[in-house]
Amino acid sequence: MIAALSSEWLKLRTTRTLFWLLVALSALMTLIVVAGVIGSQKHNISSAKDQLDLLGIGSLGIFIALIMGLIVSTGEFRHGTITPTLLATPSRSSIVIAKALAGMFFAVALVGLAEGLVALELAIALPAKGVDFAIHAGPAAGFIGRILIAAALWGALGSGIGIVLRNQIGAVVASFAWLFIAEGLIIAILHSNAINSNAGRFFPFQATGAILTNGSRNSADLLSTGSGIAALGGWMALFTIAAVVLLSRRDVS
Amino acid sequence: MIVVEDLRKRYGKTQAVDGLSFTVEPGRVVGFLGPNGAGKTTTLRILLGLVHANSGQATILGKRYSQLERPFCQVGAVLEASGFHPGRKARNHLRVLARAGHAPAKRVDEVLATVGLEGAAKKRVGGYSLGMRQRLALASALLGDPGVLILDEPANGLDPEGIRWLRDFLRSLAAEGRAVLVSSHVLSEVEQTVDEVVIINKGKLVAHGSVEELKRGKDGRVRVASPQAKALEKKLAKAGFVVTGDGEALLVAGATSAQVGEIAAASSLVLHELTPLATQLEDVFLDLTSEEKK
Ligand SMILES: Nc1ncnc2c1ncn2[C@@H]1O[C@H](COP(=O)(O)OP(=O)(O)O)[C@@H](O)[C@H]1O
Ligand SMILES: [Mg+2]
Repeated sequence: MIAALSSEWLKLRTTRTLFWLLVALSALMTLIVVAGVIGSQKHNISSAKDQLDLLGIGSLGIFIALIMGLIVSTGEFRHGTITPTLLATPSRSSIVIAKALAGMFFAVALVGLAEGLVALELAIALPAKGVDFAIHAGPAAGFIGRILIAAALWGALGSGIGIVLRNQIGAVVASFAWLFIAEGLIIAILHSNAINSNAGRFFPFQATGAILTNGSRNSADLLSTGSGIAALGGWMALFTIAAVVLLSRRDVS
Repeated sequence: MIVVEDLRKRYGKTQAVDGLSFTVEPGRVVGFLGPNGAGKTTTLRILLGLVHANSGQATILGKRYSQLERPFCQVGAVLEASGFHPGRKARNHLRVLARAGHAPAKRVDEVLATVGLEGAAKKRVGGYSLGMRQRLALASALLGDPGVLILDEPANGLDPEGIRWLRDFLRSLAAEGRAVLVSSHVLSEVEQTVDEVVIINKGKLVAHGSVEELKRGKDGRVRVASPQAKALEKKLAKAGFVVTGDGEALLVAGATSAQVGEIAAASSLVLHELTPLATQLEDVFLDLTSEEKK
């Protein structure tokens, strides 16, 4: 298990995938921070709440964490490295768990760096705009902590989904189609038919919202932070187990 | 060392492996031969725990691959369709596997030198030729310094020079006392390297023996000419040999020239010619695996 984990760790550091994801993420963060600060009226970015929202820009990195998790595991099937991987580590559950942990770790690293960059850029951009810092260290740290927890869960979730679906493009498309289309659609259907209007709160995107919310958007519809973490953790566990079962049953040929 | 016992694997309607049994003894180089689609890759993948058999046993060193204590250090494998991340440097590819498989990190540079890739070690595998990839695959199989090697069509994609290199390479592995099971659909690739061959077709065993045995084998024939052909034919048939004629002489299947000569002498029959027909192993192979023959 330790050997498999150490190998996964080396795998990610020996391709340029992580580097490019980080570049893309940094560019995206910078663009949004600059646009968000320069393009806003002073009074819209002066309150502690406004500035916490600006800090939350780094949470977009969670999508990149998901993509990274998906790439980590679908890449094995895409490039056929699953064969040597299985020869070196015949225990398929070890591989799944090592990949989930690696996905978690690198998601935290990736989003942590992105969040650090956002904080740095805000520290420069806000004074440049002539806005004083109103944000407090406590809420800011708590918020970043919750972003990193969500990132960790999504990194592992991505690696599980990747093993279940195997096809790289298919897995990315399916994941984002779920996040931006299917989940909302299903929730809307649940609501309109009054079948179970609460069930939607447990879906991955909604659960993530619950983890990240600072009480701004219709948070009445969301789970509590703790329940959000539990729900998203549940999805991660579900896909990790599915990945173990499917990888164990399937032929690798 | 390697034991395959009544192994069966079905893919949908295709019976890829159909009751196959054979064994490989320690220190032997065994050619695993059969035409494309014979079931070689499937058998080897089952041996390595990558594909699940429907029934039967496939063990190495008495255990299933996944049950071995340090599988990567006991069994090395090169498999078709086994891949590399194109963006990873060759040396890193090996480092990744060495870590996962508990092989000492210093083996990485050793095996790169063994397969002659030390100069290209820092190149990304995406820029490798097919031949270089095969060498890298062999290097990864050797990382754990295993006593058993399973190689699936390692000559595929190699140029003639590469094939000669591979041949010498396999010989040197065998000289170090390793057991090697090497598959091919082209006999000539391995003929000079192997001690034995296991020939399969349509998932079934067709022949298993040393190269000499197979050349003699049931298709080894003796050409014998005699003025008393009729009488000789009777005697040979009585001794249990299948005798056919080519007009001028008799062809005796499955006999040695000594046996034929002795039978003739026992009945005081005159012989004008007694020639063992040297069979080309390639012929045997084609014969054994051709459609009409079954
Ligand atoms: N994953 C698979 N799915 C379906 N059929 C397969 C699969 N792998 C192999 N086969 C079929 O099984 C038979 C044996 O294939 P294989 O073991 O690759 O033969 P060989 O390596 O001797 O060429 C072939 O008919 C092939 O088409
Ligand atoms: Mg094959």
